[in-house]
Amino acid sequence: MAKTELNTKQKTEIDDRSSLKGTLASVFFLGIFIIVTWVSVYYLFVDRF
Amino acid sequence: MVTSTAAKVKVDPRDAKLSMAHFFVAFSALALGGLMGLLQTLVRSGKWELPWGIDYYQILTVHGVLMGLVLTTFFIMGFQYAAVSRTTGGHSNAARRTGWIGFWVMLVGTLMAATMVLLKEASVLYTFYAPLKAHWIFYLGLTFVIVGSWIDGAAQIMTYARWRRNNPGKPSPLLSFMAVINTVMWIIATLGVAATVLFQLLPWSLGLVPTVNVLVSRTLFWYFGHPLVYFWLLPAYMCWYAIIPKIIGGKIFSDSLARLSFILFLLFSIPVGFHHQLTEPGIDPAWKFFQVILTFMVVIPSLMTAFSLFATFERYGRSKGARGLFGWFKVLPWGDARFIVPFIGMAAFIPAGAGGIINASNQMDQVVHNTIWITGHFHLTAATSVVLTFFGISYWLVPHLTGRKLTKAMNKLAIIQGWVWFIGMAFMSGAMHFQGLLGGPRRSAFSTYGGSEQAAEWIPYQIAQAVGGTILFLGIILVLIIFVNLAFFAPKGEEEFPVAEAENLEEKAPMVFENWKLWLGIAAALILFAYTIPFIDIIQNAPPGSKGFQTWSKW
Repeated sequence: MAKTELNTKQKTEIDDRSSLKGTLASVFFLGIFIIVTWVSVYYLFVDRF
Repeated sequence: MVTSTAAKVKVDPRDAKLSMAHFFVAFSALALGGLMGLLQTLVRSGKWELPWGIDYYQILTVHGVLMGLVLTTFFIMGFQYAAVSRTTGGHSNAARRTGWIGFWVMLVGTLMAATMVLLKEASVLYTFYAPLKAHWIFYLGLTFVIVGSWIDGAAQIMTYARWRRNNPGKPSPLLSFMAVINTVMWIIATLGVAATVLFQLLPWSLGLVPTVNVLVSRTLFWYFGHPLVYFWLLPAYMCWYAIIPKIIGGKIFSDSLARLSFILFLLFSIPVGFHHQLTEPGIDPAWKFFQVILTFMVVIPSLMTAFSLFATFERYGRSKGARGLFGWFKVLPWGDARFIVPFIGMAAFIPAGAGGIINASNQMDQVVHNTIWITGHFHLTAATSVVLTFFGISYWLVPHLTGRKLTKAMNKLAIIQGWVWFIGMAFMSGAMHFQGLLGGPRRSAFSTYGGSEQAAEWIPYQIAQAVGGTILFLGIILVLIIFVNLAFFAPKGEEEFPVAEAENLEEKAPMVFENWKLWLGIAAALILFAYTIPFIDIIQNAPPGSKGFQTWSKW
């Protein structure tokens, strides 16, 4: 019995209203922006000093 | 039910009067200080000179002191006083009297300092910059501003304490808690600047002592100077955390997270002043390194804030049926000036914060130190994130306090104001950042530096700054038109003082957040640890003191 249940292809509906995936993407964008600007100026430093 | 009654809660009219008094001074400072800023950018373009013997460094001092100290301190005290009144049920007569005394002491001090600057007796730039020596009345005036702000802040603390006594075991209203954290941080921070002014600069400018220990003075200034920027920022965070969610129709993501981030600011924004002195000789590098670590700790509550705001917006958007990764972004109320003006400020904090992390990193500081990059940086943090939020606050708070309405026409004008500011600042601050990376110095009038090739590269950026400065000045004119309208001419009515609720009302903030002995104890321990040994070292191994210099032309 249990086996047949496992085989069902039903997709579980995730409640979109409580999702924070946009927030996750936004904080990743923020983190990447900080790293990119930091590394750019770091290379300016390495280049000059 | 709660929200509909809360919407009608008004700030007590007697408290409103004191808040408005603060705002009149703040917006007058904006008018005059803004004009000085415009003149600075025009002078630096090399196309224009100041008439009537007015000196560049004089207008720089007026701009810095009026915008950085007067506009901010008066606005913040006025806003926090109203926020505490709104969320605790009003100030007592004693607290109100205390607030008025603080206001007048600050105003008298401001007038004393301003008079000396206008008489060309105090062109010592915004950071006082010993061994530049001003007239003693300038220093005494600024002492009054600081002491006045303590008295003003005491009014908020009195009302908070009364609320706590009347509501034992309950966490205080979020906005009041935040206002008190900021006031307490301000009091601890200003001890440093009060010490240098009272024990060094005043006796020196009065001629009682011949010389000044420059490094001690700078160290005490920057002990104050960094938390000063958080003193500007935290009221903006108050709006972002506790007011904006209500304006958009959403909820605070987490009340406890907001409180925790404010406590982290209290702990970590003070023992970090050495990151302004990374190139300063005479401070042991090990202690600079330690304070840089603490500086990076302050990044944590700012990132917590960013997360919390994104989450508030996304939750609200999804509750309105928005789908996809960024569908929530579109449903935010883009036609509401109370939202969009502070929102531009929030967005500006992304490059502003990234720049700040660069400034605080020892090696990168060698690239940008004393260049106009730094000026570009604080025009994004203070002059965009913070002041656009303050403008956004005033667009509902001023009519709330004066019993008027923000009309549709004024709302539209306010939105235009926000975008004008954005465009002007993109030009000005952007050009400052790039010119700084090319080595262009800050705090300097126009010069070709004897026909130097490198200096010639900077001039196009300085012209871009003049373009940006001009657009920003138009933005200031718009702000002043809206302010005067809302204070005197807008139609009578009721404008809401928005105060948001937490998403989860069951989740009470832990009472440990209100344990002042604990947090003040940790703050004091961190400050003592970060400063005691290097400070003893600075005093014991000090070079001979410096006599005073007055490098500017007199009338």
